[in-house]
Amino acid sequence: MSADKIPADSISHLSGYEPPDQSDWETGLHPMDSLLRGERLPHIWCQGCGLGTALTTFISALQWLEKNKEWDLEKVAVVSGIGCSGRVAGYIRLDSFHTTHGRAIPFATGLKIANPNLKVVVFSGDGDIAGIGGNHFIHAARRNLDITVICVNNFNYGMTGGQVGSTTPHGARAVTAQYGNFEYPFNLPYLAAAGGASFMARWTVLHARRLEWTLREAMEHRGFSFVEIIAPCSTAYARWNPEGKGLDPEKLRRRGLEVIKHYKEIGKISPETHPKDADVKVDENGVIIEIVEGKFIDDPKPDLQEAIDQMAPIAEKKWKAAKRAIDNRPKVKGRTDKVPRKELQLGGFGGQGIISAGKIIGQAAAIYDKLEACFTQSYGPEARGGAAGSQVVISSDLIHYPNITEPESAIIMSQGAYEKYAPLITEKGILLIDDGLVVLPENHRQDIVTYGIPATKAAEEMGNIRAANTVMLGFWTSIVGAVSKEAMKLSLADSVPPKTVDVNIKAFDYGYDRGTELKKTKAIPIPTPTEKTGTTHSGDKKSSINEP
Amino acid sequence: MKEQKGLLTGDHFMLGDYAAAEGALLAGCRFFAGYPITPATEIAERMSTRMPQIGGVYIQMEDEIASMNAILGGSWSGVKSMTATSGPGFSLMMENLGLGIMLETPCVVINVQRGGPSTGLPTLVGQQDMMQAKWGSHGDYEIIALCPGSPQEFFDLTIRAFNLAEKYRTPVLVMADAEVGHMTEKVVIPDPEEIEIISRPMVRKGDVEPDHFRIYRDMTHCKGGVRVSPMAKAGDGFRFHVTGLTHDERGYPDMSAKGNEWNMERLISKIRDNKDDIIWVEEKDLDDAEVVVVSYGISARTALWPIELARKEGIRVGLLRLITVWPFSEEKIRRLAKSVKAFVVPEINMGQIVREVERCAAGEAAVFGVHRPGGEVLDPAEVLNTIRKAAGHPVQTEDAVIANQEIQE
Repeated sequence: MSADKIPADSISHLSGYEPPDQSDWETGLHPMDSLLRGERLPHIWCQGCGLGTALTTFISALQWLEKNKEWDLEKVAVVSGIGCSGRVAGYIRLDSFHTTHGRAIPFATGLKIANPNLKVVVFSGDGDIAGIGGNHFIHAARRNLDITVICVNNFNYGMTGGQVGSTTPHGARAVTAQYGNFEYPFNLPYLAAAGGASFMARWTVLHARRLEWTLREAMEHRGFSFVEIIAPCSTAYARWNPEGKGLDPEKLRRRGLEVIKHYKEIGKISPETHPKDADVKVDENGVIIEIVEGKFIDDPKPDLQEAIDQMAPIAEKKWKAAKRAIDNRPKVKGRTDKVPRKELQLGGFGGQGIISAGKIIGQAAAIYDKLEACFTQSYGPEARGGAAGSQVVISSDLIHYPNITEPESAIIMSQGAYEKYAPLITEKGILLIDDGLVVLPENHRQDIVTYGIPATKAAEEMGNIRAANTVMLGFWTSIVGAVSKEAMKLSLADSVPPKTVDVNIKAFDYGYDRGTELKKTKAIPIPTPTEKTGTTHSGDKKSSINEP
Repeated sequence: MKEQKGLLTGDHFMLGDYAAAEGALLAGCRFFAGYPITPATEIAERMSTRMPQIGGVYIQMEDEIASMNAILGGSWSGVKSMTATSGPGFSLMMENLGLGIMLETPCVVINVQRGGPSTGLPTLVGQQDMMQAKWGSHGDYEIIALCPGSPQEFFDLTIRAFNLAEKYRTPVLVMADAEVGHMTEKVVIPDPEEIEIISRPMVRKGDVEPDHFRIYRDMTHCKGGVRVSPMAKAGDGFRFHVTGLTHDERGYPDMSAKGNEWNMERLISKIRDNKDDIIWVEEKDLDDAEVVVVSYGISARTALWPIELARKEGIRVGLLRLITVWPFSEEKIRRLAKSVKAFVVPEINMGQIVREVERCAAGEAAVFGVHRPGGEVLDPAEVLNTIRKAAGHPVQTEDAVIANQEIQE
C-alpha cells in the first residue's frame, strides 16, 4: 500500500492548475459548457451544497484528461443511482445513466464488461454507494473491476429530507435521529480497502484542487478506484448539527460555508494514515473533530478484464476439442421398428454413476437409435453422496408425460435404492441388481423378474471399479433390449473420459454377454425364502434369475 | 452479431437449462450475469463454460439485483444480455426489471420456476410465478413472457425471447419450470443461417447529429412496422441520457402527469398494438371442440395425455397451448368462449392463469381449473376427470390406474 504524499505547502502542487481558456471570456461560454447539459440547468442542488464543487472538479479532471492524456470523452459513461448526487448523471453531457437506488455499480459492471473500451465512472452518494448499494460496492472492489466510483458523502439522506444513514457519525443528529445517531457509521476508506480496492482517496470539497488531481489519477488508474468526497449538506445535515451553526437565523443562508470553514479546521491531510484509522472522528456530541484526507491506497494489480482475457485461449482450446468430438460422432440410421413407451428407473448411491448411466441410455435412444427419450434425475441432498436416482422414458412417439409412473425395468445398485424403487416396478417388470451390493430380503417381490450380476466386483477385476455402472448398462441392454447394443456403445464412447473408453466397452460387453447367457440358460433361480435367504446365488455363474 | 465461432449445431441429448443457454448463444447473447439458484444454475454453469469459448463474458454477480442491473448495463453497451434465475431471485430482479422496462432495454430474463413462496421447493416444479411475471415490478407496464414445455422448446423460445426483446426494446421473460429445466431430451440445433435473428433498431455514429438525436423518439406518427424508437449504445458519441424517472424524448426527467401519460402510452402500446406479432399459441383439435384445455409450459405438455384419453372416450376436447402467456390471448379465448361449452385450465399453482381465462370467457363458457401446489406435475387422471366434468361426462375413480393401462396399450 503506497501513499502518495502531496506536500501541503509546496508550490509544486499548484502545477496542475490551468486557468480557463481566454476565448471563453470572449464568447461568454462557461469553460465547462461542453460537458454540461445546459438545458437541464438550473440544477436542483441547494445553496451551499457541496455537489457543485464535486461536479466541477470531476468535469475539470475530465477536461484535463482529454487535453493532456488524449482521452476521448465520447468513450466515457457516467452512471448514477438515486439521490442528490445521483443527479450528476443528468447534468453531465456524456453518455449517462440514472439508474435505481444503489444499483449504479452493478449497472456500470455490465456496461464496462460488455464494452471494455469504455471508461465508466459511477457518481453517487453515500446512501446509494454505502447504504442500499453497499454489497455491490464491496464486490466491485473485490473484483478489481476497472471503474471509478465517486461517492459524495454528506453523512445523511439529503434528497428525502435528512434521514440518518450508514455514514452518519455516532451521536450526530438527523431528522430521524433527533436524540443523536445511536448507530455507528462505516469508515469508507477501510471498507474499500477490505473489499480490495486498488485505489482509494478522500477529500473534502474544501480541497477542490487536490480533489481534481485525485480524480484524474483515479480515472487513469486501471482497476477499481474509489474517491470519497466529503461535502456539506447545507439544508439537512447542517441544520441539525453544530457544524452548520444549527438554526442560527443569522447564518441560515450560509450553512454550507460554515461547514466548509469547519472542514478547514478539522481536515487533516494525512495520506500515510492506515485506512483503518481513517474514520471520521467525532466528539461525545457527534460533532466532527477530525477528517483525514489524502490518497490512502494506490496499489496496482491485475484488473478483472485482464483475468477475463487470460481465460479466453484456454476456453477456446477446450471448445475445439469438444467440437472435434462432436464432429467425429458417427452418422447412424437409427431404429425403424416401433418402440412403445418404456420406463426405466436407476438407483444407487452417489458416485456410482447412476446419473451418467441414465443419461447414456437416454442419449443412445435419442441420438443413435433416433427414438424419443426423456431423462430426469433426483436433485438435492439425496443426489449428494446419499441415494442417487435417475429415470429414463423411451418411446417411438413423442413423450407427453416426462416422469415415470410404473417402470418396466430398474437398475439397482444399492440396498437403499432397492428399498425405495423395487416396490414401484410394474408387475412382470424386470429388476436388475448388482448382487454384490443388494441383498434380496425374504419378502422380495415374486411378481417381478429379478436378474443379478456382481457388476462392481467385475468392474474392479477389470481394473476400473467406476465401470460398474457400465456393466449394468450392458446387462440391461441385453435383457431389456429397449435400446440397441450399437447405439449404447456409441453413446458410451461419447460419454466417458477418452482414456477409459476401452475399459468401459469391455465392461459393457461383459455385462451384455452375461445378460444374454442368463436369458438363454435362465440360470439359477433366486432361492425362495423357505430355502435360503440373502445373496447366496453368486456361485460360479455370479448371476441369478428369479421368474414368477 | 459477432463472429460465428463456437456455436454448437446438430442433434444433442441435452438438459433443458443447457438448451436455453445454447439458444441464447445462437441468438447472439454475449453477456450473461447471474447468481446460482436451483433449478436455474445449470444455465449459469453452461454459460460460464461457453461464453469464454465464444467471445462473450459470463460473470457471477453478488446477487440477483446486481445480475439484473448488470445485464441492463451490458445491453446499453450494445451486447445482447441475459440472466437466469428462479423464484427467490426473480423476486429480487423485479426492482430492476422495472428499470429495464422504463429505459426500454432489450434483455432476456429466464425464470426456471420452482415451488414457492419464499425458499419453497428449490428442486421441484411450480408454475406459481405467472402473475408475478405480469405484475411483479411496481407501476404500470406490459410484459412479454414465453413458456416452454420441453428442452427443445426452451432452446427455441430463448431465441424468440431475444428476437422479441430486440424488436420491441424491452425485457422479455422466459417462464420455464424445474421440470423442463432439469429434463434431458433431444435438442436439434439448426445451422445459424437457418434461424431468424433480430437485432435492435440502432442509430450509429454519423446517422444523426448528436444534438438532434432522441433516445426515446416519439414514433406515434412514424409509418411502418413496430414503431419502436431506435437505440444508441454507450460510447458512440451521442452523449445521451436515460433515467428511470418519467422522461421525455431526450430521456430527460419530465415529472408531470402528462409526462407519465406519454411514457405509459409508449411502453404499453408497443406491446398491445403488436399482439398479433408477439402472441404464439399452439392449437390442437379446436375446430369441433366442446371443451378446450388452455394451458402452458409443462402443464400443457402433460395435459396431452389426458386429452388423448378423453378423445378416445368420445369427448370433443381441444388444446390451446399458450406459448406466449403475456400478453394474454384475450381475443382468441373470447372468440372460443362463444362456441365451446367449457375451458379447462391445468396449471401448477392454486389458480393464476385460470382467472385470466375466466375474465376472457366472461361467463359465456364455464371455466374449470386444475390446480395443485408445487412439487409435482399435474396428475393426468385429475386433468382427465376435469375434462369429463367440463364435458358433462361422469367422473371416474381410480383413474390413474385406468389411465396407465390405457396408455400402455
